[in-house]
Amino acid sequence: MASNRIDMAQLLHQLIQSPLRQTPDKAAFRFGQGTLTYQQLDIQSNQLANCLIEAGVKPGDRVGIYLNRCLETATAVYGILKSGAAFVPLDPGQPISRTKDLIDRCQMNVLISQKVQNRRLLKITTQQNQTKLVIGSQLDWQGDSISWDQLDKFSTNDPNISCTAKDLAYIIFSSGTTGIPKGIMHTHASGMAYAELSVGLYQANADDIIGNFCALHFDQSTFGYFSSMLAGATTVIISDALTKFPVSLLQMIEREKISIWYSVPLVMIQMLKSGALDQYDLSCLRWVKFGGEAFSAQQLAELMPHMPNAIFCNVYGPAEVNQCTYFHIREPFPNNQIIPLGYVWDDTDILIVDNNNAVVEAGEVGELLVSSTTMMRGYWDDEKLNSRAFFTVVGTDTKPKTYYRTGDLVCTSAGGDYPYGPNGEYLLYFMGRKDRQIKTRGYRVELAEVELAILSQEDIAEATVMALDNGEEGKLIKAFLVVKREIDINDLKKSLSSILPSYAIPSSWELLDSIPRTRNGKVDYQALTKVYI
Amino acid sequence: MTQEQRHISSQLVEFLKSEIIGEGPEFDLQIDEDLLSSGLITSMDIFRLIEFLEKEYEIKVEPTDMTIDNFISVEAMEAFVSQKRA
Repeated sequence: MASNRIDMAQLLHQLIQSPLRQTPDKAAFRFGQGTLTYQQLDIQSNQLANCLIEAGVKPGDRVGIYLNRCLETATAVYGILKSGAAFVPLDPGQPISRTKDLIDRCQMNVLISQKVQNRRLLKITTQQNQTKLVIGSQLDWQGDSISWDQLDKFSTNDPNISCTAKDLAYIIFSSGTTGIPKGIMHTHASGMAYAELSVGLYQANADDIIGNFCALHFDQSTFGYFSSMLAGATTVIISDALTKFPVSLLQMIEREKISIWYSVPLVMIQMLKSGALDQYDLSCLRWVKFGGEAFSAQQLAELMPHMPNAIFCNVYGPAEVNQCTYFHIREPFPNNQIIPLGYVWDDTDILIVDNNNAVVEAGEVGELLVSSTTMMRGYWDDEKLNSRAFFTVVGTDTKPKTYYRTGDLVCTSAGGDYPYGPNGEYLLYFMGRKDRQIKTRGYRVELAEVELAILSQEDIAEATVMALDNGEEGKLIKAFLVVKREIDINDLKKSLSSILPSYAIPSSWELLDSIPRTRNGKVDYQALTKVYI
Repeated sequence: MTQEQRHISSQLVEFLKSEIIGEGPEFDLQIDEDLLSSGLITSMDIFRLIEFLEKEYEIKVEPTDMTIDNFISVEAMEAFVSQKRA
């Protein structure tokens, strides 16, 4: 809702100011039985900010958030921003060594955590010298520690640190295909731009209850932590425990009356598999947003009747740009069709280019480049990566424009067939990753296309394909399947031969109980390689 | 707690320590410790746990049994197993 735009708010932590004035006692965040009202969030984040400043944290510093999903996460986010520093989510589920590396790389002197992490905190703090202070738990170590209760003694006044929209607000580390985490830097400006665009697109308002499935270290969480506050809504932080149990999750959606849901498709596939969808009234959902991976039309069609009032939205955008396209789905999609990435949203320009950076003809496949207000500033401390990540176009009469290279292959199609999108605009379709395009027997094959073809077949629950080196013959395609009931691979191959060229049909097949996933719910190719190849 | 219940609890603690959490014998796991909120076990681990419960105690874990209440702690899992076997 355009009227939701806050007068004056330019910095992410100012997002809570307007609801604070209008509805101070309303829940900003909820978690289990606990509630954090806008007023409590304001006061507690002020205290945390004052504590950080007293501890020597300066504007521009990075402060680590080492927390599972909990109410304190919200206080940590807003407290760190109010101190002028940037927050860096650290996933407690990651190996200690990775966490130590990130602490070193970002020179983080202060970690915000919780008592339940004490075992890990002790290992982290004793194995590096960067950390000087742990806030959130009384820790028995050589450095300082302050518990959440002890923050009460700090001033409740906003420290009013001066910072600008161009300042760094947070760094999200993504695992990256190389295995070395990339620190995606977002400023207050890019974060605000995302909050405003997403609130506008979904008409998020003060009546909404937003189900925040993702942990803070996954970019989807910005919707719950920032957009929701701009809308003056309530965000329900979903506990780590809940994320593991689809049936409990359904129960929670019904109980909390979640109106906007956002997660990877896998979570919804698990809800389907639980067989318990019928037992819950999910009519409260008005938006079900999914992103991060493709959702098969078949599974989505199975899910839709259980969420009768929901519009489903395919959200696309690498964490580097937050979001850049959307595709709203109100009616089940034909099973054999691929759900488009969607239409490019506001304040965003795209280019689709070939390997020589020349713009491709309409309908041809090319790499998607994105230039938008929601785009990251760059990767933390990695000049090499930054030089490859961006592409600058120098116009004749305009300022040079910088695009982020998504590495995703897309193609366009006229959007006229789809009644729910804006008229006349091009629709983007996902055609795979640039780094997942392989050559087999001399032919170019897009692995994502093979996956989608297999997924369109009957009785297939999940499908992942990988290219294996096969000596002189080049690459060989291997498929990993999760099936709904027993299938005959020969029948499957026969039926695939009508939609895929023979060279693209996998030559090796493996049936699994489940496909290994990363902590963000995406296919874990490294784990697949380790176990099966 | 009966002898039988104590036995199940200690088997579960052993399994969790050696197969799931991957820590040595000095790791102190309390039977009422919240395994889910602290991130001690992940969603993939749940499937291994269920496999273990089904095999070891000859029970069938239905999709609708897969709730937080049944898996939050060793204590809760033991109660779930005992109730299933009753």
